[in-house]
Amino acid sequence: MTVVIARPCRLSENSHETKHMATRHAVPGRDKKPPAPGEAKVVRTTDSPNCTGACGWLATVVDDVIVDLKPAADYPCEEYNPRGCLRGMSMTHMIYGPDRIKTPLIREGERGEGKWREATWDEALDFIAGKMRRIIDDYGPESLLLFNQVVGTSYVQKGAQVRMAALLGMSFATAYDFNGDISMGFTHTIGIDCVECETKSWGYAKYAILWSSNVFQTRIPDAKFLTKHAKQENDATIVCIDPRCSQTAKGSDLWLPIEPGTDCALALSMCQVLLREKLVDWKFVETFTDFGTLIREDNGMRLRASDLGIGGEDEFMAWDETSDSVIVLPKDTLRLPEGVRLSIRNSRTVEIDGKPVAVTPVFRLIEDVVMSAEYDPDRVEKITHIPAETIRQVARDYATKRPSSIIIGMGINHRLHGDLTIRSILLLSALAGAHGKPGESVSIYSGQHHFRLDVSPWWFPGGKRPNAVPMHYFVLGKPTETINPKIKFPKNGFKGLFVSHGNPLVTEFSEPIKRAIDNLDLFVTIDFSMSPTCEYSDVVLPAPTFWEKVDLVGTSCHPYLQMQQEVLTPRYDSRTEMWIVRELVRRVEPSLLNYFDVSEYDAIEMLLEGGGKEVAGITLDQLLEGPVRLKVPDPEVGCDEQFADLHPFPPRAYPFPEGVQREFLKTGRMEFYKEEEVFRKIGEQVPIYKPAFEHLPESDQKLPLSIVTPHSKWRVHSTHSNNPVLLNLNRRPEVEINPRDAAARGIRDGDPVEIFNDNGSYRLWALVTETIKPGVLCVDHGWWDRYLGGGKYHSVHTHQKIKPTHENYYLPAVYAPGQHWKDTRVDIRKVTK
Amino acid sequence: MARMAMLIDLTRCIGCDACTVACKQENGTPVDVFFARVFNIEVGAFPNVKRVYLPVLCYHCDDAPCLKSCPNKAIVRRKDGIVLIDQDRCRGTGACVSACPYGNIVLHDVDKWYLNDDEPYESRFVKPRLKPQVARKCTYCAHRVDEGLDPACVVACPTTARIFGDLDDPGSPISTYIVQECERGREPFHLLEEAGTKPAGLYVGTMSEQESFSSQHQREQGGERVDATAV
Repeated sequence: MTVVIARPCRLSENSHETKHMATRHAVPGRDKKPPAPGEAKVVRTTDSPNCTGACGWLATVVDDVIVDLKPAADYPCEEYNPRGCLRGMSMTHMIYGPDRIKTPLIREGERGEGKWREATWDEALDFIAGKMRRIIDDYGPESLLLFNQVVGTSYVQKGAQVRMAALLGMSFATAYDFNGDISMGFTHTIGIDCVECETKSWGYAKYAILWSSNVFQTRIPDAKFLTKHAKQENDATIVCIDPRCSQTAKGSDLWLPIEPGTDCALALSMCQVLLREKLVDWKFVETFTDFGTLIREDNGMRLRASDLGIGGEDEFMAWDETSDSVIVLPKDTLRLPEGVRLSIRNSRTVEIDGKPVAVTPVFRLIEDVVMSAEYDPDRVEKITHIPAETIRQVARDYATKRPSSIIIGMGINHRLHGDLTIRSILLLSALAGAHGKPGESVSIYSGQHHFRLDVSPWWFPGGKRPNAVPMHYFVLGKPTETINPKIKFPKNGFKGLFVSHGNPLVTEFSEPIKRAIDNLDLFVTIDFSMSPTCEYSDVVLPAPTFWEKVDLVGTSCHPYLQMQQEVLTPRYDSRTEMWIVRELVRRVEPSLLNYFDVSEYDAIEMLLEGGGKEVAGITLDQLLEGPVRLKVPDPEVGCDEQFADLHPFPPRAYPFPEGVQREFLKTGRMEFYKEEEVFRKIGEQVPIYKPAFEHLPESDQKLPLSIVTPHSKWRVHSTHSNNPVLLNLNRRPEVEINPRDAAARGIRDGDPVEIFNDNGSYRLWALVTETIKPGVLCVDHGWWDRYLGGGKYHSVHTHQKIKPTHENYYLPAVYAPGQHWKDTRVDIRKVTK
Repeated sequence: MARMAMLIDLTRCIGCDACTVACKQENGTPVDVFFARVFNIEVGAFPNVKRVYLPVLCYHCDDAPCLKSCPNKAIVRRKDGIVLIDQDRCRGTGACVSACPYGNIVLHDVDKWYLNDDEPYESRFVKPRLKPQVARKCTYCAHRVDEGLDPACVVACPTTARIFGDLDDPGSPISTYIVQECERGREPFHLLEEAGTKPAGLYVGTMSEQESFSSQHQREQGGERVDATAV
């Protein structure tokens, strides 16, 4: 349905009565008289917050003030209209809000003391450039670290910052892995950390499992593909797996309140049901997975053609039942030679260097694990608290009610063993063969890391890249023993940090970051709102909001490339990232200035020209007319080249060259067996369930409650924490607690309470609710400390641990360590004084 | 004749409050004044619990009790059925607030605002549009309707759960939607019909449909599934 409905206009009949309206004057113009021609302008733009939704808006502007905002609803694919949500709509109150940074600020007192000197841009830039120059000369440019959020939402402006870091030789920490969004379970299985279908594809599903995903809240503009298209028009069944009856549970047919941290056991149990009930799509697994590859019993590695002296190390062997002999699997296609039937169960013996070696197909190794008593639904019921019969039914329905789809949320990924959970879910999907068609995929929407075009021409001039270092090592202050040798930890350590549009001091990890910052000579933040991170800085630079600058925006939610326009002149003394970078380079390394002698539009043209096949033929002029669909299949179903064209995995991860990911997905197939020694050392060659909390200190394990920290409807992470309109709707931080847990502690609804463990504590208010599983607390994440009843936001979550299977290869934000905040154990008490 | 009305499809609604904020954006309402609201309700006890969202706004009743209650005759009903409070005639008696069985009329002594006083967004473009100390409510964005546009909450609803139009026009989006949904066995209904105000605003669909199972639940119910259909 279109959003603006033309109907016979009743102006003549009723216009004399509109003075009775609650508001006297109609927008646009918001004046008694309609605005004179040329006085009110309407601008089509795109917002780019860290939800990464990339929604199009029509803004009405009078005298450089936005007086009205409406969804643009102009996507050529009608189903996408309208896009937008309460957060985007109330952005006006951030643009005009009381926390806007008006001028550059230089710290006067101690860090965090709140004493500032208002500075001119020249003063601030000279100060920063002087320090940068000294750090470069004394320690090397790699001691300067850039951490900007979220680069994929802003190809041009935040890209300009990366361009500077590349040219100066600075270090660059990809936010994506530090945010915990990287899904190593995906990387281990398909060689890329996340893969998504466009959200329109959800609408084709007959069965959808939302696995800890709360899309009604986190993907508001896309939720209609579930409620309207899948459910209402397609009669789909929606299953929601979540310890809390989330906003999304409202729209589901079945809500499974799972015990937190046990999702992996549930997935493997469902795999067992598929195997037991003969619901496996053998054709799919033979083509797309590593099930047929043979594992050597002597060393646990895959059998290669080179082992037998008949080919290369990158060629893998399988057993063909038709010819009853080993064959080399083709490496450039997933298509098997005509007539080949892969043996997937039987061990054989081959001769390597004159010695007999037993080899076993991967499927057999997986089957041995999956079919073990541990994953019997009757047993899994006891740990997940989901009835065995329900586990069987959901598995059966997932495999038979097609097309069927899984959407994964971050709740299962922000765990040390989240990788195993996701590997298990992918195993389930592979057994069912539920990929590659509209309405069939496993999607995670974990972020904006997957650029929709190759940003290299703008970001990495002449192929020069910054020194990529995961933020974890900055926070730890030193490399781990198992750090990947490709990561160049600065020889003199980190001395300077630039945080752009990030708020790392409002994360589950803020205290360790603060300690790392305390060792720096320079800490600069670039933001539009005076965040807790800004408050701890040496210099704060005022940036425009995304309503006040030009950029190019893409998203993984939908395949439209869009322009962001300068709807308003940058307010106060704010300056774009492009301008700031140019002025810094002018002061630090003037010989590089010519790299920045370009406009935003020039940068966009550069990106379009060298951006790869998805943007081939798209022009700036087309983009200025409205959203332009990328050159991708319609609908995009995720891994389209693999499932449709049988092109080997992994799909390319922009901005890296084709082929670099093959290092960690050597077979080119969905790998459910990982052969590297590091996996064998910890017994994770194939997906298995490991209890979530056993890696915690014993004192933590004894604590009675889990805590989950989902996204809030009222914020995008910590953005909008200080939005006056949204605070009017969501007045104070609350912890959801089941009445049983509350009663046991004498806590009543609305009481001030304190969440605590050995790491820390913080105070907020109790929301006693039946919608959460007993034994689980829920606090939506992103509240700034100033709104708490006391303590440090999420100070209870300060474990840091890196899994060695996340370090054995390194590709920034594709193969890198993740986070495991949600493994935290806590208790709660009533605050009495 | 015309009868403007809004139908809200509760199956499509995700409780996102885009309507709440779109209304604010359009009408520039002060702090704590919401013409469009969404109730977030929980029903039942764990694990047999449901989340329910109920969006509410003025229903522009045929037999509007607010209109009858006003001692100053400040409430009028337009020819297209839209009920409006005349800001110039209203003396803020609050009679309409008490009369509305739905609680959809707001009257505040003092208006509070969101932004600093010197921000032109509010000082120049929002505050002058409202008269203080009068009763206010949803107008179905009559100023937009007069221009042939849908109300702000309708165009902003990301799930197209709100359908607006003329009930008297069989070709209008709302009329065709009602026919289509009736054919699918979903009868539209009014909220609190027993109040007898003949509201124009309609709903369709159940508020929540999910079933929930946990082993604990199953034990308590002796292994029987409990039918947890519409609330």
